[in-house]
Amino acid sequence: MEHWLPLVAMAPLAAAALAPALGRGRPALAWGLGVIAAAWSLLAAVLLTRRLVLEGPFSYAMGGWPAPYGIELRFDALSAATVFVALIYLLVLVYSRRYAEAAIPAHRRSWYYSLLMVNLGGLVGFVCAGDLFNLFVFMELASVSSYALVAAGGGRVAALAALKYLLAGAVSSVLILFSIGVLHALTGSLNIADVAARLAATGAGAPAALALGGLTAGFMVKAALFPLHLWLPDAHASAPSPVSAILSGLVVNIGIIGWLRILPIFSGLETMALGMVYEALAWLGAVAIIAGALAALFQQDIKLMLAYSTVSNIGYIVLGLGLAHPVAATGATVHVLNHALIKSTLFLAAGALIHQTGYRTLHDLRGAGRVMPWTCLALSIGVLAVVGLPPTAGFLGKWYIALGALEAGRPVFAVALLAGALLIFFYYVRILNAFYFRAPAQERMLSVREAPLSMLLPVLLLAALCVLGGLFGRWPIDLLAPLVRQLPGGG
Amino acid sequence: MPSGLQNLDYAAFVVLFCIGLYMVLARSNLVKKLLGLNIMETAVFAFIVTSGMVDDGTAPILGNGVAGPFASPLPHALILTGIVVAVSITALALALIVEIHRQCGTIEADELKGAE
Repeated sequence: MEHWLPLVAMAPLAAAALAPALGRGRPALAWGLGVIAAAWSLLAAVLLTRRLVLEGPFSYAMGGWPAPYGIELRFDALSAATVFVALIYLLVLVYSRRYAEAAIPAHRRSWYYSLLMVNLGGLVGFVCAGDLFNLFVFMELASVSSYALVAAGGGRVAALAALKYLLAGAVSSVLILFSIGVLHALTGSLNIADVAARLAATGAGAPAALALGGLTAGFMVKAALFPLHLWLPDAHASAPSPVSAILSGLVVNIGIIGWLRILPIFSGLETMALGMVYEALAWLGAVAIIAGALAALFQQDIKLMLAYSTVSNIGYIVLGLGLAHPVAATGATVHVLNHALIKSTLFLAAGALIHQTGYRTLHDLRGAGRVMPWTCLALSIGVLAVVGLPPTAGFLGKWYIALGALEAGRPVFAVALLAGALLIFFYYVRILNAFYFRAPAQERMLSVREAPLSMLLPVLLLAALCVLGGLFGRWPIDLLAPLVRQLPGGG
Repeated sequence: MPSGLQNLDYAAFVVLFCIGLYMVLARSNLVKKLLGLNIMETAVFAFIVTSGMVDDGTAPILGNGVAGPFASPLPHALILTGIVVAVSITALALALIVEIHRQCGTIEADELKGAE
């Protein structure tokens, strides 16, 4: 029981090392290994979350070295996101098998699963890391594997998009590493809790503000906050669909979760620097909501549309955090989890459509509702959730953020939020119209079959979770409450 | 040491960092962009390694007749890991650039924009 915490990240990393060796020429074996590792992570995450609910946050000292000197893994409310990470990963892997057979060249398939496992290990380690340097290392594991995964399908658009993603990501990583270096030089420690305690004692305002600025800028590039989002649409749209689901649902959240992790360090800082950061984030978030939704409205390619919708949704989350109001921060943190569910539903459903029909624009996909009813049902539920209509998971976060904006006395942000929701509603109508009410534009659409069961089941399960996430929204909110209270200026 | 020269290493770090950032943003050739990224990374590594320096400090290795003060070994250990990360990013980027060259016939960013 004691050792579950390191194992939750180690199992996928071990599978990543074994997959290309054992799966050489036998990609099905590599796939099986991946599914086992993801299932293992899910089991461990559920057990750890159960312990979190019963006993409160706990730590694990790697190699038995105690906290400020050794490496600390910490499981708190934020780390409970591992359940979502592992669950989405398991479903994406199940889905991936048939999709990869068509989209990934055979000699690369074992490596593809290996990269997915590195990515899973990185993400899980990232949310459980208790010190700054491991935060960086796990972030890089997840990031570097993501760059490679974008290009996994081959093709020149994907290679270009991957390189653009790599350059943006690597520059932001350098900024983050630099800021970690500044914090280490100031305090002589790397453990997050220890750094937070020592930073207040040093009284060094300017270098600490520099570190806060560097970390915020770096993490916001990773989160693709407008106007730092330029790398995102191409990368997310040209990656293989299961990878798009992972990137849009989970990997962008590295920026948000990382920022939430480092924020308590600066709670001792004079309020001016923090206040400026909050204010800037709130405005950028509000602009991102509108800009992302507008850009999504003008896309023909269904995956580009979803990618721009991610930009818009990150806007909601950042706006909620930037308002520095407990109600809005609750909405933002809950929306991180719900957006992960919603966006992976949407990308997997869109991937199933592309896989079965070979088309990817709304015009070509007309009439899909008749030939692939279940996939289109899941996609419709996902879009309903992304709009934020009441019984779905998307409603919860947006409602809390809007409520927080009003309570904080900033109605202009509530207006921006509503305007974004209305714009998104337009593209919901566009998708529904194309799928259900228009005559097919392509003759081949008439003979298309429904997606195979191994792809359909994960999509439908995720769509069901999009609804359940809204109906049982109380549970994550209660779990995240201690986290929100801990944020400086947010509780 | 005159006080103006005391932070010479930080000034050198800032200059290197800016050169790297300029190359990433302004150069059109993808390999040069990557070199700029490497220069930025080197600048940050140098900054973190020098932050472990202690005046008149010696290597922190135990043995006969060794006395403090010691330089902090932790930044070196961190940067070793940092270098490994940087190498893997460079390798991946070079592989992608080779792939781009194979598919598009050029590695100039402005020509690639026209080709899309």
